[in-house]
This record gives sequence, C-alpha cells and structure tokens, in this order.
Amino acid sequence: MSSAKHSTETLGARSRAATWLLAASWLVPGLGHWILGKRVRAVVFAVVIVSAFVTGVLLNGELGVPKPQNPFSWLATFACIGDGLLYVVRMVWLNGLGGAISGFPFGLSGGGDPTLAGFAYGNTFFYTGGLMNLLVVLDVSDIASGEKD
Amino acid sequence: MDHLLLMCWHAILVSVFFAFLWRSDASGRLKLFLKTLLIMVVGSTLLGWLMFPFP
Repeated sequence: MSSAKHSTETLGARSRAATWLLAASWLVPGLGHWILGKRVRAVVFAVVIVSAFVTGVLLNGELGVPKPQNPFSWLATFACIGDGLLYVVRMVWLNGLGGAISGFPFGLSGGGDPTLAGFAYGNTFFYTGGLMNLLVVLDVSDIASGEKD
Repeated sequence: MDHLLLMCWHAILVSVFFAFLWRSDASGRLKLFLKTLLIMVVGSTLLGWLMFPFP
C-alpha cells in the first residue's frame, strides 16, 4: 500500500517536472535540451530559431495573430506562437504591454508591412522558426521519456 | 533584396536544424545537412524555372 502510494507520488512528481521542462523548452528555444545536458544541440537550436525569428523581424514580416474572419490566420498564429517568449516580447514591442493585454486575442497587431518586398519572406521565417521550436519541444519530450538519446 | 540569398539562408537554417534533430553523429549530420540543403536549393531553383512560362 505504502509502496503504491510512493509510486503514485513519484509519477506525479515526474509528470510535473516533465510539464515544466516542456514549458521551458517552448518558452526559450534550446532550454529544454540544455537542462537535459544536450548542450551542443541546445545552442544550435537556439541560434537557428532565434536567427529565423530575427530575420522575420528584419524583413518586416507579420507575426500571426487570430482574425475572426480569416480561419488561416489561426494556423499562422499557432505556428508563430511556437516561438515562445520571442512571440510574446515581439507582441509587447508592437502593441505595448497594455495594448497586448487589452487587445488579446482579436485586437492585436502582428506588425509587418505587406507593401514591402520582404513581407512574405518574413512571414515564412516566423512560421518556420515557430514550427521548428515546436519540433524541439517534441524532441525534448522524447529525450526526457528515454525514447531517444 | 536578393531573393536567392534569402532562399539559401532559409535552406541553411532548416538544414542545420534537421541535421541536429535527426542525427547524433558528426558525419551523419554533415551528410544530412548537405543532402537537405542541396534538395531545397536545387529543387526550388528547378521548380522556379519550370513555373517560369506560366502566368
């Protein structure tokens, strides 16, 4: 009985730790791998994802924000939210802290200028960076569960 | 703005990412990086040429 209770507590603690690990991995690209001791991969993933995001900003891309009349904007939002804290910081940068909070979710501006040549490229870099970070989160999950080295 | 340069930069980032995600040894990473990069850059350029006659 005591052993079963101990086992349940251990499982609960592991589950909480895994949740925090995945959240950290999503918020800061590469942090999950860093915590798990995969330092080289952590640095490479961080550099790649941040580079993609910064390129998106420099090319005047638009971060995905949900628009009620445009269902595809939800997919773009999902991809961009994958960037974690970078997405949040950029939103606050563009809308101000008050604007980001009061405008959530449908009154946010994703920035960007569609009249500029780099707009579509910038969007692509944002989506790619976010989706890569989501794959990194899945990789952290696999490593933490022992399914991958 | 150089479109080809941007495409190559995008291909480099994605190739490095998948090389480190899917391979754990140095030679495997290098091979996958080069293969992915080549497929994306050459494939996109060829596709661009094929699409050229269409409006």
